[in-house]
Amino acid sequence: MKQAPHLIAGLAAILIPIIAAIGFTIHAQALEMRYVNALAPLNTEQSLRGMAIQRAGFQKSDLLPVFGSSEITLLQNEYEAQKFFRSYPTGFNVLGVANLGASSITVAQNLAALGTDLKGKKVVISLTPANLVMKRLSAAYYAGNYSRLHAYETLFSPLLDTNLKAMIAKRMMDFPDTYKNDPFLNFVLIQLNGKSRINRGFYYLCWPLGELQIQIMRLQDHAIVYSYIHDSRISSNIPRSPKRIDWPGALAKALAEQKLHTANNPFGVEDYKWWAYSSLLTNPAPPGSADKQFIQRMKVHPEWSDLNILLLVLKELGAEPLILSRPMNVRMWEAQGVSEQAQNTYYDKLHAAVDPYHFTLVDYQQFGTDIYFSIDQGSHTSREGWMHVNQTLDDFFHGRLR
Amino acid sequence: MSIKRLTTFFTAVYANPWGHVLILTIYYLAIIAGLILMYGKGDFSTPDFVYQGF
Repeated sequence: MKQAPHLIAGLAAILIPIIAAIGFTIHAQALEMRYVNALAPLNTEQSLRGMAIQRAGFQKSDLLPVFGSSEITLLQNEYEAQKFFRSYPTGFNVLGVANLGASSITVAQNLAALGTDLKGKKVVISLTPANLVMKRLSAAYYAGNYSRLHAYETLFSPLLDTNLKAMIAKRMMDFPDTYKNDPFLNFVLIQLNGKSRINRGFYYLCWPLGELQIQIMRLQDHAIVYSYIHDSRISSNIPRSPKRIDWPGALAKALAEQKLHTANNPFGVEDYKWWAYSSLLTNPAPPGSADKQFIQRMKVHPEWSDLNILLLVLKELGAEPLILSRPMNVRMWEAQGVSEQAQNTYYDKLHAAVDPYHFTLVDYQQFGTDIYFSIDQGSHTSREGWMHVNQTLDDFFHGRLR
Repeated sequence: MSIKRLTTFFTAVYANPWGHVLILTIYYLAIIAGLILMYGKGDFSTPDFVYQGF
């Protein structure tokens, strides 16, 4: 004591915050479990960027996590799954983890970060063909959906094969703006991308510091959620009304309402969006004139390899996913010179990508010519489309989908 | 408690070996607490972007 008072005091000063942090984490996790059903429908920023709410959601037997992008969030309406199932009519609600511009690579990092939470758990991966056949992922969309916590958790995951992490690291390096202010992450990405044993050696040497960063970010995540729960004064008590859903009736209601919002055009495009398409569609392209271009663009679209990364992550983590695509909007693509036959190559490629993994896949191809399923060419889900999606989600949750 | 009594109290505590460690621990904890307050707040925000739905 007399010889090393500073050492003893220093060790105590480090131990006390560690113990406090552990205590706070346990308390925060208990709070998150209590409030996650109330938080699930809110689609908060922290539920997208953090892990705390998602982890709590995966622990609950009455929440079905659904990951996706704009096909989920673009059209705000009462038929969206999180609103449709909010009173738990058939025993569950949806935990939505979706944002405009999200893509397979950002979702893959999110899933990788969940790690053991995914094992044996049902999860829905929602896709729109637009991400796989239209514009490539932009740096702005990636940055807008990037999470530093997810990135670190992915790169230092003890559950993923190093080669898979290297694939993810390579893709992450296509978006340098997201890590240019993070020299440590930059270093880790370079090492993972490298092929030599020295690179691997450096990567493993980085592990303790990477883990420390992860623990700090997890604490911050808990603190933000904790603060949100207290500041928002939400109630943990969610009223539940079990009932049998009249699917045909609900579908008819949604369709009738959808028609009211597509009154100004013959293509089923949502009224407020028609201005973007009217000039293209009043002068339709010759049938099949854009087939070759469409097929070629789709063939080389980088989103397919990102989707493969996502599927590999799901496989390695032992999840039980439903891959839920939306249909091509046949009539709109035909008006732009892409025949239905060419459009069907999307489904061929989707099945070629997903089937080897033996995951449940629903592609809604049969609704391609239903002009009211989607609100636009990008296959964003309409009110009617949502009712089909809701029925699929219900079937999946209750084990009726194979 | 007057300042003189406080000073006497802390001097006595500091002179004691365990008291010395206690005061040093509080001192180091205060530094850590200050660092946490200054740099501990997480920022999970992302840059805004304009979504151009198709």
